[in-house]
Amino acid sequence: MKICLLSRPRFLAGRVCAILATALLLAPGAQDNADPSTTFFMGRIRYSQNDGNDCGGVGQELMKLVSQASTIKVQQEKVLRFTDPELYETPFLFMNGHNDFVLNAEELEALRRYFSRGGFLLASGCCTNPGFPKACRREFARLFANEQVVSFPYDHPIYRAFSVVTSVRCLHEKKDIHLEGLFYQGNLVMVLCEEGLCCAFSMENRCNVGKGVSPEDGKKLALNIAVYALTH
Amino acid sequence: MSTLVFDFPLGWQAGLPLVALVLGLAAWLPMRRGVPKRRVAIQTGLRLIALLALVFLVSKPMWVATERKPPGQRPVLLLVDRSESMSLKENDRTRYRQAYDLLRDHLLPAFKADHTPVRAWLFAEEATQADGPQLGAAEPTGKRTNLGGALARVLAADPNPPLAVVALTDGIVNENGENARGLAALVESRTPFIGIGLGSDAGARLFALRSVDAPPVVATNTIFQVAAQLEMVNCEELEPLDLSLMRDGRMVQRKKVSPGSGSRYWQESFEVTESLEGLHRYSIQFLPPAAPGLQCLNSQGSASVQVASEKELRVLYVQGALTWEYKFIGLALKGDPAIKITGLTRTSKQSIFRQNIETDGELKLGFPVSTEEIAPFRVVVLSNLTPLDFTPAQQELLAHFCGDLGGGVLMIGGPATFNSTWRGTRLEQLLPVTFPANSEALGLDRPFRVQLTEEALQHPLFRVASDRSTAAAWSQLPLFAQYGRVGSLKPGAQVWLEHPEDRGPSGKRILMASQRYGAGISAVIAVQNLWRWRLARDSDVQQYDRFWRQLFRFVGEPVRQDIMISLADQDLRPNTDIQVALQRRVKALDTPGLPAAYRFQVEDESKAVVASQALELPPGRLVASSFHPAAEGLFTLKVLDAYQAVVASRTVDIRDLHPELQQTGRNMEILAQWAHASGGLAVKAEECGNPAALVAQIKAKVEQVRRTHPVREPIGVNAWMMLAVLGSLGTEWCLRKKWNLS
Repeated sequence: MKICLLSRPRFLAGRVCAILATALLLAPGAQDNADPSTTFFMGRIRYSQNDGNDCGGVGQELMKLVSQASTIKVQQEKVLRFTDPELYETPFLFMNGHNDFVLNAEELEALRRYFSRGGFLLASGCCTNPGFPKACRREFARLFANEQVVSFPYDHPIYRAFSVVTSVRCLHEKKDIHLEGLFYQGNLVMVLCEEGLCCAFSMENRCNVGKGVSPEDGKKLALNIAVYALTH
Repeated sequence: MSTLVFDFPLGWQAGLPLVALVLGLAAWLPMRRGVPKRRVAIQTGLRLIALLALVFLVSKPMWVATERKPPGQRPVLLLVDRSESMSLKENDRTRYRQAYDLLRDHLLPAFKADHTPVRAWLFAEEATQADGPQLGAAEPTGKRTNLGGALARVLAADPNPPLAVVALTDGIVNENGENARGLAALVESRTPFIGIGLGSDAGARLFALRSVDAPPVVATNTIFQVAAQLEMVNCEELEPLDLSLMRDGRMVQRKKVSPGSGSRYWQESFEVTESLEGLHRYSIQFLPPAAPGLQCLNSQGSASVQVASEKELRVLYVQGALTWEYKFIGLALKGDPAIKITGLTRTSKQSIFRQNIETDGELKLGFPVSTEEIAPFRVVVLSNLTPLDFTPAQQELLAHFCGDLGGGVLMIGGPATFNSTWRGTRLEQLLPVTFPANSEALGLDRPFRVQLTEEALQHPLFRVASDRSTAAAWSQLPLFAQYGRVGSLKPGAQVWLEHPEDRGPSGKRILMASQRYGAGISAVIAVQNLWRWRLARDSDVQQYDRFWRQLFRFVGEPVRQDIMISLADQDLRPNTDIQVALQRRVKALDTPGLPAAYRFQVEDESKAVVASQALELPPGRLVASSFHPAAEGLFTLKVLDAYQAVVASRTVDIRDLHPELQQTGRNMEILAQWAHASGGLAVKAEECGNPAALVAQIKAKVEQVRRTHPVREPIGVNAWMMLAVLGSLGTEWCLRKKWNLS
């Protein structure tokens, strides 16, 4: 398998948002009406005790960028629970948070079903807080037997899905940041970035100053994750 | 009574004055020179004889006679059909027995009373003369009915033309090669054909397995159908019967069939999947239902299937933007190593995203612009594109890809894909539907479920579940939100999916359709976000995946061979010439018109070569060949290239079926045609209640033929005439020499 990029985007921020919007856009013709059968551009997850509002501006910021960069009509993000029926109309989910959490049996079962049908989840720890990624690793490891959340080396295709990323330096520690993920039957179904990815790609790290992923790397990673989800 | 007529009267009308003029001049000139009158008169007389003879011949003289021999001396020839169809029982008697009884009890006494001599013949494939005991002992077992050949044979057997030929037959004729000979013999001998039709017009009570059909070549692990064509005629309510499918002699499936009653022709099929490569023979057989008077034919039939590992099927998925459809189709194909999908996506006006390319240079400039670039793919999928995404040359290339190279083209999407911008384009020409003149308002769609057409319910493409019916499986699909509006269906195209309520120009709004376009297949799916089928909470992921794998195989036909071996519509039976047509597909790198050396070879079941022929196969042209199987069996037709590698193969089951019983109803039309051509008569046996009247009818027909078809014989072209011409001219020449006349 080989993936090539022909021309690099000149205005990366705008391009990131455009592609991400496309990725998150679940129905290209999605309308602004309230038709329950239309799909939403993104499902923002409310889980466990989390109300889906951490870094509350992430979604709105993203919406603005999407609207500026894409001619495709998009629908307001919809906050979902894993147990909502609308989950199965939403092939791309986004969840973030600061703190530890525990998924109940119902949520776990819904996630198993969702992932087994091809759904994709992007999880981002907010503001480099260790509670959320730690909980992610633990809870998602409960989903499928013998499947753990694993870290990807930089030769994984997700780092080249659109922009070529050879390494991501942590801003506050001397280490490289690696994306992590969960596989189901060989398919990557969940990607986790512990180091404030959402803060980087949407808020220019204003909420996570001097920490985690740089805004530039964050946008590249977000773009790559979205393209990867759309093509794998 | 005879009459002299001239076929070319202008010959004597112009010839006689000319002769008079020539002879007058020829007499006047010598007399001017002082030649004695007596000599001039002798010379002129001799010339007159010769010229008159020539004028006579030029005028084409004919003797026209109404009859040469009195009718009473001529016999009536009786032809009794002893072919297998005459063995059908109706009213507790076989047709042959009915014919024999009619002959013995009515016709022969009537002819005897009329002092008309009778000669009887039995006929089926051949005609043989028969006496009374032979007629009574004969069994109707002939495998074919050759009425034309029988007529030619019996008329040639006697130099004296008969009074008439009376055929007692059901008119089921299946050998027509000698019809011209038979007709010529009837007309030349001026013999009227009297056909007496036996049997009922509706046919006998019959239950038959007419044929077993299966695709000649399939890919491994692909669902295909083995189907039995069944027929019942004039049956009362029949008990359900077991239909068994045998694979290479072992039973693999069984089903219960309820034939019902009456007359019908229908198909019963088994769905089969093969994982092992090789040639497999599938037989379907039934146990004859127990019903009094019911005749069962061909209770077993078979077909052969070559199961071959398919070549890699590459799909080029071209889309105007990244879509979820592409992702989910990719997931569906992930478990199928034979299908590889290559993505080509426009991500902005300047950039193109390529995925799963095989070389760095592949599709580097975007959509293919040459045959060489597009030829590696078997299917091209188009989604969310507009005509502006293609140059006219690229659209032409797509048409060439589908029509000439046999590729598949699938357009998929919703309103963003199917809109009026495509109207009138080259791409529209190759798709199975037209595009609407006006784009409709977006966002007005109501949630709907796709609805399969009757054809789709029967087609293996839509067979996505093993544990439930096609209809039940598809009814579980989720609601869809949007669909693209296509125009009308093209002639010859097939609708597979429809909108349950919305109506378009061709009835219900078309959601999926396909058609053959040249050597390839084009198809459209106008359901937006079909991927929701896979993600839906209660969906069966395997069904979605199977549908896409089957669809790409259907559109791409991966087992399609480079050389097609096709059989003309003909009887595939032993001891006949089986006509075969070979055609090499046009390929990307072919030089047009350049022939290539191949060998056409036929092997029997023991792998012995029974026919072999070297031939050239220019791309795209049909080349005819044939072979002559001497016996029943399974024959493998192969085409070998210059390196003796098999590039195409097909198996043919040669069987001597029951042509006599393909149709069991009496065919009076055949008898009427022979009667009309010879001025004869065709009557149904049940109308022969008064044999004397029938004999009188026959004699009246004979008399009518005598009157309306007199004998014409040319005269004058004989030795006497030649002697008169040469003698008179020779004598005249000798006298001129003797008298020293110039």
